[in-house]
Amino acid sequence: MNPIEAERLYENSVRILKKNQHEKGGFYASPPGTRYPFIYPRDHSMCIYGAVEAGLMDEARKGLEFILNSQKPLGEFSQRYDVDGNDASYKELQIDGNGLVLFVMGKYFKATGGSFYEEMADKAFVASHWETIEKAVQFILMNKNEEVNLIHTINSIHEYPAYEHGFEIYANCACCAGIYAAVDMGKALGKDVSVWEQQADIIRQAIFTRLYSPRRRSFVKCIRVKDKNSKPIGYDSFASIVHDVDAVEYAPAYFELISDYDIKTVSTVRRIHQQLWDSEIGGLNRYPEYWGRNNGGYGPWCHFTCQLANHHIETDNREMAENYLDWVVDMAHEYTLPEHVSTIERFELWLEDYTNGKILRDSKVKLIEDIRAHPKWRDGLAYVTIPLIWPHAEFIISYKKYRDKFHPA
Amino acid sequence: MIRLENMLPRAFLVGIMKMVDMSGPLETIRWMQSIGEELAVIEGPGFEGARMDTDIVYLPISPFGNEVVEFSRIYEKPEQFSEIIGTMSNLKTKSAAPWEFPAMSHVLDVLQHSYNQKRAELAGTRFYNLGSKSPLGDVRQYNTEAIERAGMSKENVAEILDKAFFVYFIEHPEKE
Repeated sequence: MNPIEAERLYENSVRILKKNQHEKGGFYASPPGTRYPFIYPRDHSMCIYGAVEAGLMDEARKGLEFILNSQKPLGEFSQRYDVDGNDASYKELQIDGNGLVLFVMGKYFKATGGSFYEEMADKAFVASHWETIEKAVQFILMNKNEEVNLIHTINSIHEYPAYEHGFEIYANCACCAGIYAAVDMGKALGKDVSVWEQQADIIRQAIFTRLYSPRRRSFVKCIRVKDKNSKPIGYDSFASIVHDVDAVEYAPAYFELISDYDIKTVSTVRRIHQQLWDSEIGGLNRYPEYWGRNNGGYGPWCHFTCQLANHHIETDNREMAENYLDWVVDMAHEYTLPEHVSTIERFELWLEDYTNGKILRDSKVKLIEDIRAHPKWRDGLAYVTIPLIWPHAEFIISYKKYRDKFHPA
Repeated sequence: MIRLENMLPRAFLVGIMKMVDMSGPLETIRWMQSIGEELAVIEGPGFEGARMDTDIVYLPISPFGNEVVEFSRIYEKPEQFSEIIGTMSNLKTKSAAPWEFPAMSHVLDVLQHSYNQKRAELAGTRFYNLGSKSPLGDVRQYNTEAIERAGMSKENVAEILDKAFFVYFIEHPEKE
């Protein structure tokens, strides 16, 4: 890996995070005037996590203030908000947002404590938002199915109900980790959080059993179930298993519910690498091409590549870690990262499919123009949505982890 | 086809007809508005839909489109629905704030608009329905007073309706 280029990308990623935080605290998913000039709790949470890792504690706190104050009356965090914190969502429930907000709040809380966790952690901040935390946890538990002890959602990280409607792995891991974070914060404040802890343990155990396939030696994507209250769920009209490979099957380890050394994680990551590493242009695809929803052309994503780099760093596999991070550094254009990268050929195939199927809606027209206008088009590559802020946060997280492990100061 | 698990939307539409028969169109309108407002309070402040760079919000799909089309195949145009639309039109004509009314292309717009307006109010704004398009065919309705208040023209709204079913404008009192 080119250490100078990697360091520059890290520095620019920190700058991009700072530059794309609205004065009211929200991190844009992509800058104003581009594809996603809103605050999406999922992207926003990862930006807060990136800010914590980069030592931008004021920005992280401001980001948390924004999202905690935007909670809906029932305890939900919406799919997206405008810069004023008003719900601007147009999609159905994405419950991983609840888990993510709590998870990154826990990261902020611990980071403020450093080695003097008890004495210095920002307890006053957590205490002032305790009611919001309670409602967020309650909302998650309100969506827990008592038959399988998993959390039901309609959309998850890919916003693709066809493969995510039901008990989906990323949403369950985010929610479970979020409850554990709430438990840690509650304990620090002297609250009785024993019921939450018990519930988190139950969900975690259900992830390890229901969402793990011993035969495939891999975590699986989703138990597809239409209604969260279907009883018994075996009679639900969607009842089926999505066992296709998905980069987010690494979520149990990403959210620290299981060790990276655990055989379940190791074999899952192996399957992800074997089936999703892009043999033509490198990098990690998010799911199989045949799922068909490949806006701008099928291809690898920067932030999933960074997420899986974490595994190789954690397990001391320096060569693989550098392969993954090196690809991200290589893909950066002027130290800026896109959502994902494709090729002109794949872009044209996607465009033909969507045009032919009459599903190319208006908002995609701008996307197409931007891809064709980008300088990388002349290199035969389709850069889709650049910059997207989220991958910069993921690069900060994984690169810092890499640097601390292999190049300690 | 009705199955018990999917009968609720159709039952609500039949309920509107029954309610008009029992209590008249005005009471039915108030009933629907109260439902919309109650649900809005549960959902909290916000604006559902796609947003343009300005304060224009639009719905690229008709939220109840499928139910409305299916229902119309059985009941065609119920007289009770016409009574509601006629009553809303009279209320708008007599109102000192006609821009507050929905551009009605279906009775369910009463429910939808009260829900939207309440959520906008919770956000400290006002929300106007500039135009709508029926899911039953390219029949368009406009609220000319709302369009004027938004500083737009009917042509502007029509252009957005080419790709949408509802067009709204968010008014920020603090910006006035």
